[in-house]
Amino acid sequence: MPSRVVVTGYGAITPLGLSVDETWSNLIAGINGIGPITNFDASGFNVKIAGEAKNFDPVKYMDPVTAKYSDRFTQFAVSASLQALQLAKITINEENKYDFGIIIGSGVGGLGTLEKQVEVLNARGPAKVSPYIVPMRIADNASGQTSIKTQIKGFNMSMVSSCSTGTDAIGLAYQLIKYGEYKGMLVGGADAAITRIGVAGFTQAGALTRNADTMKDSRPFDAKRDGFVIGEGAGVLFLEALEHAAARGIPILAEIAGYGATSDAYHITHPSENGDSGTKAIQLALRSINPEDVQYINAHGTSTPLNDLSETRVIKRVFGQKAYNIPVSSIKSMLGHMLGAAGAVEAIVCCKVVQEGILPPTINYEFPDTECDLDYVPNKAREKNVGTAISNSFGFGGHNSVLTIKKFTNS
Amino acid sequence: MNIIDDIKKAICKVQPGINEAKIVPGASLKEDLEIDSLGRVELTLALEDTFNFYLQDEELEGIVTVSDIIALVESKLKVRNNA
Repeated sequence: MPSRVVVTGYGAITPLGLSVDETWSNLIAGINGIGPITNFDASGFNVKIAGEAKNFDPVKYMDPVTAKYSDRFTQFAVSASLQALQLAKITINEENKYDFGIIIGSGVGGLGTLEKQVEVLNARGPAKVSPYIVPMRIADNASGQTSIKTQIKGFNMSMVSSCSTGTDAIGLAYQLIKYGEYKGMLVGGADAAITRIGVAGFTQAGALTRNADTMKDSRPFDAKRDGFVIGEGAGVLFLEALEHAAARGIPILAEIAGYGATSDAYHITHPSENGDSGTKAIQLALRSINPEDVQYINAHGTSTPLNDLSETRVIKRVFGQKAYNIPVSSIKSMLGHMLGAAGAVEAIVCCKVVQEGILPPTINYEFPDTECDLDYVPNKAREKNVGTAISNSFGFGGHNSVLTIKKFTNS
Repeated sequence: MNIIDDIKKAICKVQPGINEAKIVPGASLKEDLEIDSLGRVELTLALEDTFNFYLQDEELEGIVTVSDIIALVESKLKVRNNA
């Protein structure tokens, strides 16, 4: 008999705070986390804004040597993981260390480390390259360091599915726990791509807003949207089999009730025009849920012309006329696009939505787009009791990944 | 130039947060200073930058303690000064 899968802990490092609580209170206050780029000198760049995780100090979560030899995305991941385990009050010991696993993904891995060492290579030659380039660069360094730090010794793997990464990490862990492979898993995503090559690359791909003169240009679903604002950080959740959590008597924060993942098989960056696979992903996530029960959609909502239109169409295909009655919001309007971390942070936000009965808004929404005509919770948070929410993530490479998150009830 | 102080600085650079009092001539790089195989390469790079010389892999083979590093650096500098 499959287990129900519940959330008993979470942690986050985001442009709006160095914890879930700080991030959540800023989100529902409609605070904008976007600001001028300070991670590097962006004066020669067309894009000069980003959602940076400000005042983050890795040494609060790890020793200085580990911090020095960890890329920023790994530092984020370890920090969020320790927050999640602390909230879940789980203690790893000799008896249970193989009962738990880790899936922490990253869209781009240690891009900053790679960039720095390529500069060393070009300027000073191969014999001056740091031996840490490989472990610091690889995407699974986040899950590896988290395993070392937590001593969780079961499944330990990264997930790479671009901007769907965090959602897919949770989805895979959901399935592993549901079918009894593990009692609990630490899952999520982390990225730190606000680097020279990261910003240059996403700019050249046409993905980022060029309106660099204002901090208001992450404007999902708005008629004047013209690209996303890059963000950084991590989101990590502790998922548990219900019976395991219940036996520990730990407060349950939400339930993961479905996961759907499909591929467009269409284009390396563009979403498919017909939206068939996006539609299917939502339908799969709702296979054991009545679609009528969905009361909130946390959108992928990147603020790119293509994503927001395509996502709106997909939502309408799945829910028909009822789509107009389901609030849809994009927290990327406040955080920017945290890439591999985005889906994990958005799943955490859905857990908060079902607990608190408050919907975070889509800020910077000024000019309605006639084709994006759903209720995007514009500019102000809204009180609404939500029993069932879905969280959409879509990624370069044609990934469509959707989670269903429910308020936890005993029945 | 105080060689020992400069070696200490290089070790502190690759092992931030280390208790400097542990960096004594008899200290083992691996056991006492917790410098692993990757850290040894980082330390080599730091020493090269500090003293402006190159170290070959074979020159590092017998290096176990801080005093081994001191001897190696002294001998490299002596060769250079005599050249």
